[in-house]
Amino acid sequence: MRAYQRFSTLSQLAASVGAFALAALLLESGGLYDWAQRLDLGLERTVAMPVATALHRALAPLHIEQGRRNTLVELARIGWSDDPAALAEANTHTQPKELTPPPVAPSTVTVPLKNTTTVTKPVTPTTATVTIQPVPLRPDAAPGLSTLPAIPSIATGKTRTIALAGDSMMAVGMSSTILRQASLYKNLSFVHAFKSGTGLARPEVFNWQLEYPAMLKEARPDFVLVAIGANDGQGFVEDGVTYPFGSDGWKRIYQRRVQAYLDMLEENGATVIWLGLPPMKSDVYDARIALINRIDYSVVSASPHAIWVGTAGLVGDGSGRFRDYGEIDGHTTRLRQSDGIHLSDDGATLITTKLLRWLAVQEVPKPVAAPVTTAQESTKP
Amino acid sequence: MLFPTVEYAVFFLAVLAISWALAPRRIAHKSFLLAASYLFYGFWNWRYVPLLFLISLFAGLIGQALQRTDDGVTRKRLLIAGVTVCLLVLAYYKYTSFLLLSALGLWGFVGHTPGWNISTPFLPLGISFFVFHAISLMGDIYRRKLREPLHLLDALLYVAFFPQLIAGPILRASNFVPQLLRQRSLQHIRVNRAFLLILAGLFKKVILSNTLSTRLVEPVFSAPANFHSVDVLLAIYGYAAQIYCDFSGYTDIAIGCAMLLGYRFPRNFNAPYTATDPQEFWQRWHISLSSWLRDYLYIPLGGSRRGVSRTYINLMITMLLGGLWHGASWTFVMWGGLQGLYLVIHRLWVAAPSPAVQRLRSSTAWPWVARLLMFHAVCLGWVFFRAPTFGLAATVLHQLGSHGAVTLAAWPVVLCLVLGLFGQYAPPVWRRSVEATMSRMPVAVNGVALALGVFAIELLGPTGVAPFIYFQF
Repeated sequence: MRAYQRFSTLSQLAASVGAFALAALLLESGGLYDWAQRLDLGLERTVAMPVATALHRALAPLHIEQGRRNTLVELARIGWSDDPAALAEANTHTQPKELTPPPVAPSTVTVPLKNTTTVTKPVTPTTATVTIQPVPLRPDAAPGLSTLPAIPSIATGKTRTIALAGDSMMAVGMSSTILRQASLYKNLSFVHAFKSGTGLARPEVFNWQLEYPAMLKEARPDFVLVAIGANDGQGFVEDGVTYPFGSDGWKRIYQRRVQAYLDMLEENGATVIWLGLPPMKSDVYDARIALINRIDYSVVSASPHAIWVGTAGLVGDGSGRFRDYGEIDGHTTRLRQSDGIHLSDDGATLITTKLLRWLAVQEVPKPVAAPVTTAQESTKP
Repeated sequence: MLFPTVEYAVFFLAVLAISWALAPRRIAHKSFLLAASYLFYGFWNWRYVPLLFLISLFAGLIGQALQRTDDGVTRKRLLIAGVTVCLLVLAYYKYTSFLLLSALGLWGFVGHTPGWNISTPFLPLGISFFVFHAISLMGDIYRRKLREPLHLLDALLYVAFFPQLIAGPILRASNFVPQLLRQRSLQHIRVNRAFLLILAGLFKKVILSNTLSTRLVEPVFSAPANFHSVDVLLAIYGYAAQIYCDFSGYTDIAIGCAMLLGYRFPRNFNAPYTATDPQEFWQRWHISLSSWLRDYLYIPLGGSRRGVSRTYINLMITMLLGGLWHGASWTFVMWGGLQGLYLVIHRLWVAAPSPAVQRLRSSTAWPWVARLLMFHAVCLGWVFFRAPTFGLAATVLHQLGSHGAVTLAAWPVVLCLVLGLFGQYAPPVWRRSVEATMSRMPVAVNGVALALGVFAIELLGPTGVAPFIYFQF
């Protein structure tokens, strides 16, 4: 090979990097806009959002962003991508459309009380609020695994389909433990419907209303096991209004999003088992998670098709507070990951072992997934 | 701050511009790089910036004290004190839980373990790397490999320099600190090589590693009992490719970024799966760590100078501790033990006097047979490295023998696997040829080409960026 110039001067470096930056801005204006939108509320977002928006608007006539989205859908069509939403779009549309999240369905906050006969979920656009109920943290008081209600058994030769839904609280520790234990229960089948780094606070970042149906594909779960909310301890913007975490507006909107998520999970007669978030190591973060738990509990406990499973009494200490270690079969073991947030496999085992045994109860014919009647409702949680 | 993110791109472009603007003023240049490094680290968790500062300050002060005295005993005491403090800090943050659980496990054999509500500290990101840098600083001065007077600013920057801070490569103080003492050359920047490294690193991490992780390795290692022989075998090969692409991708980007800033980092990977024996593998895999372990552990233990048996023991100790360095778990110790065993077996094999063995080793086919054997031996080690428990590792290995449907061999996965493994056989002349072509192009075109490459990688990569595997170490 001929000798070549290995080294460049500073001015050449400046020219190369400058050209890179310009070309990258041109090509990635859509990506930068998406990125800025995803940032947590704060200084970074305040600075980035106007710049990214202006850039995105200025370059929109070049249709680079449209080409980028078309390419993503084409990649899904040829099987490269495993992004369920892009895949669903590739399968259903010849002409890809903009992947903008639809408005979150406003749902009622006057939800029917548990164990009532109401079947259809009322969806009324209202901004009224319900009282956010405290989550009992004491294990003897919490609706944890010790108070699981009776559910219809699985008919012989049939399987029960369970969707595993949520964010990294499901993805880390929990889902792998469940799937490992699944080999013990041949009458249970599982659908993956979880994704790390998601949540309910920021539908513009990850829109569960779009993604969840795509994750299910053709599956019709009988039960949905959900653990979600670890990323939701942050403020958000809706309709141009900023809602700091914990403000009244934040609570109202977040509750609406939890309700919409729950409504979606319950579609087609699925019963939702909502795992409360465990206590967290950091006090500041734990306080945020406690508020999220309270809102979740308010929504879930009001639904006739959902069961709240408090986890603080299982993986927390006697007072429901965070603990790193616990005993399983007489051996001290780590219940939490080193981040102080997620469950370890052993920690998850404390929850999943009994849950799966309960879900796998067999022999009574499986009820038809039709509109729930009063008679059936009495056996529902 | 992760490399393949907008945050890092903005951060790096700003640091690049300002650092070169400050290049003529050395103190200002280095102070700025140090502040940028703390910002980079603080972006993850600012609470641990003081820990990073204190460890590097401590190593710098010990280094200065070592340079001030010629008394052998004092120097030795200073070194031992410095290394001990660094290792205690590492042990506290990284091994408290491991030691505690191991002790309680032993206690469990004797009687009922106490039900303490104990809490262990968060693991600071990259602590294994910056503690090793601190030790390297003191060790190189003790061995008089670093003779230039040490300034505290240089010591702080050497330990905290952001391109290598989180996951290496592990720099030698004797190699890097002299670079800090030289004036930056405005005429000798390897821009094209740096661009290629950054692009290659992004490709390996964002496309190959992430695709293999999400679509092959993660499902199988989460619940191996649900998969059968072909899927499990692919997942083991997949993890071999994933960890290589992930870690070498990180170091490629680190080396490229440092190069653009005018600094030279050592090579950290050199086509490791082409190795024909364990010794060669460790000369090609995570080179900066294996040479660190050799120089600061194996050789001080006596190396191969104290007889055959002692050599084997030293190899085992070095690799067992190397395994423990990677993670506070007995599975990592097992991984290290396997590597040590491979090295011992290889030495026995090389020393075997049998004519049949000699004939076999000199045959034409032997290098390829050896390569295949070596690769599979490495893969066996990766099973223990990846599996969180021995039970799960055993299940993975057991499932290799089970028959059932192949569910994960989608064409993108197989393509990424082939590229991740066989890409290492690409002749170096290809890279030089691309670099030569770039050198003949207008410089702005190279910049545009890099942007196009980054754009393509962003399109082809799975959504979301998983953290680099080596961040946990």
